[in-house]
Amino acid sequence: MPGGSVSISVRGARRVYPVKGGTDLIALDDVDLTVPAGSFVSVIGPSGCGKSTLLRLVAGLEDADRGDVRVCGVRPAEAAAAKMLGLVPQAPALLPWLTVLKNVTLPLRVNRAASRRRASAPGPSMEELLRKAGLQDAMHKLPSQLSGGMQQRTAIVRAFGLRPDVLLMDEPFSALDEFTRESLQEQLLDLWDELKATVLFVTHSVSEAVRLSDKIVVMAPRPGRITDIIDVHLPRPRGAELLKTPEFHHYEDLVRDRLRGAFQANAA
Amino acid sequence: MNAAEDVLTVTEPEPELIVAPPVRRPMWRPGLGFLHPRMWLPLVLMLAVLATLWTWGAHSMPYLLPPLGDIGDTLREDADYYVNNAWVTLKEALMGLGLGLVAAFVLAVITSEFPLARRAIMPVAVILNVTPLVAIAPALVVAFGFGAAPKLIVTGLICFFPILINTSMGLRAVPQPVLQVYRTVNASRLETLWYIRIPMAMPYLFAALRIVFPLSVVGAVVAELSAAGSSEGLGTAISLASSMNRLAAVYASIAILALLGSVLLLLVTALERRVLHWHESRQGNGG
Repeated sequence: MPGGSVSISVRGARRVYPVKGGTDLIALDDVDLTVPAGSFVSVIGPSGCGKSTLLRLVAGLEDADRGDVRVCGVRPAEAAAAKMLGLVPQAPALLPWLTVLKNVTLPLRVNRAASRRRASAPGPSMEELLRKAGLQDAMHKLPSQLSGGMQQRTAIVRAFGLRPDVLLMDEPFSALDEFTRESLQEQLLDLWDELKATVLFVTHSVSEAVRLSDKIVVMAPRPGRITDIIDVHLPRPRGAELLKTPEFHHYEDLVRDRLRGAFQANAA
Repeated sequence: MNAAEDVLTVTEPEPELIVAPPVRRPMWRPGLGFLHPRMWLPLVLMLAVLATLWTWGAHSMPYLLPPLGDIGDTLREDADYYVNNAWVTLKEALMGLGLGLVAAFVLAVITSEFPLARRAIMPVAVILNVTPLVAIAPALVVAFGFGAAPKLIVTGLICFFPILINTSMGLRAVPQPVLQVYRTVNASRLETLWYIRIPMAMPYLFAALRIVFPLSVVGAVVAELSAAGSSEGLGTAISLASSMNRLAAVYASIAILALLGSVLLLLVTALERRVLHWHESRQGNGG
């Protein structure tokens, strides 16, 4: 059922990186994951657990050695060709010679055939999206004139502006200070609420995962695998107040416990 | 949702609001600051010292250095002769530069897009680069005669290598995350080249051009000197004057060559400032 209620489906995915003169690194071993359309799913785990590899498989930047990856029923490469994906990498990855506005509109100008096919859904323009992200005064500035937080917001607007079916985010806030990070989480949830994409969000912050997600996927390293999937039943919208509630702390503790479990199972 | 948005704008963390103003400090701005003695006095003093040393040298060793006055006289009396020859040399230099630029840029794109081509072309380019051009020039004169052709080729060759190396490095200097973002929207190779790789290579290209613009004059003069039968150009003027022991005329040509090189350097710097206004090196330390 292409484009049905399942946005991302990973079946028995395995990915091995050959290591020169050593045992090969099994980045992903027999990983299954189903992400329902329109949901916000975080992937959390210690470094080397394959969470970024999983994201790259879904983005079509790498191919699985075994298993099957589908985005809205099609292969990731086909999804990319149809412009169904949006990627927010760890670094903002802006082009330093383009203004903020030109940076966020360039992805619309490449692969135009697919853009034309998708142009059906009317929605907020890029200028509006930038305004919503608090970048109205930065539109005609160069990235080097912005703070790190504003650069990352630009990168998020660039991805959302494509109106992707699936938004892939690889630790997008990890280089920011805590204060900036919390404000960006809030803005991300706002944009997501409005534009309704499916989000796969890789992070190593427990509170970030709890705040943002409907579902948290816990992974463990050597070999990279999924050890737990936690449903987060917290009301939305999740404002700054929620972070102080006992329910929020309950989920944080739960995720921490499961992460520790994943570590210990690995050490044993 | 509106309420949440309002709260959002209010609770925006302060570090986000403090945006450094676009500080742009050009290396020298054409304002009044340039007139301050601290800016021009050191250079003027240095020139005065050099002129004094020269005059003293010319006085005590007349076979080594001509008096500055003689050089000035020569330039004034034969102004047309020098302007014409300077124009010829400048034309050769710029046309050779254009030739080398186009060839090097095209090859840089090819070698950065196709690793196989890189492995074939780069070693040849390196060998060409380490071969002394002064040695190639006479051979080219034999092959192409005393016209413009060998001069353009020598100049082109001298400009070719720095442009090729720098541009091909710049074309491949695009950070992985940028490429990944544009791969997930399936940007074609041509789009990636045009929108991302070529602009990314511009600072690298200009670093090469700053070397190569003045160097193009060297190429043109070397070729002129090698073609003993040439009729025009400052290189020809130099070999002619030196064969007749007219030292003042030799130095007059040399002075014009130095001037040409400086003008070309100024030209490329101005061009760079326009094209690379976004680049860090153009925006002062803080920007």
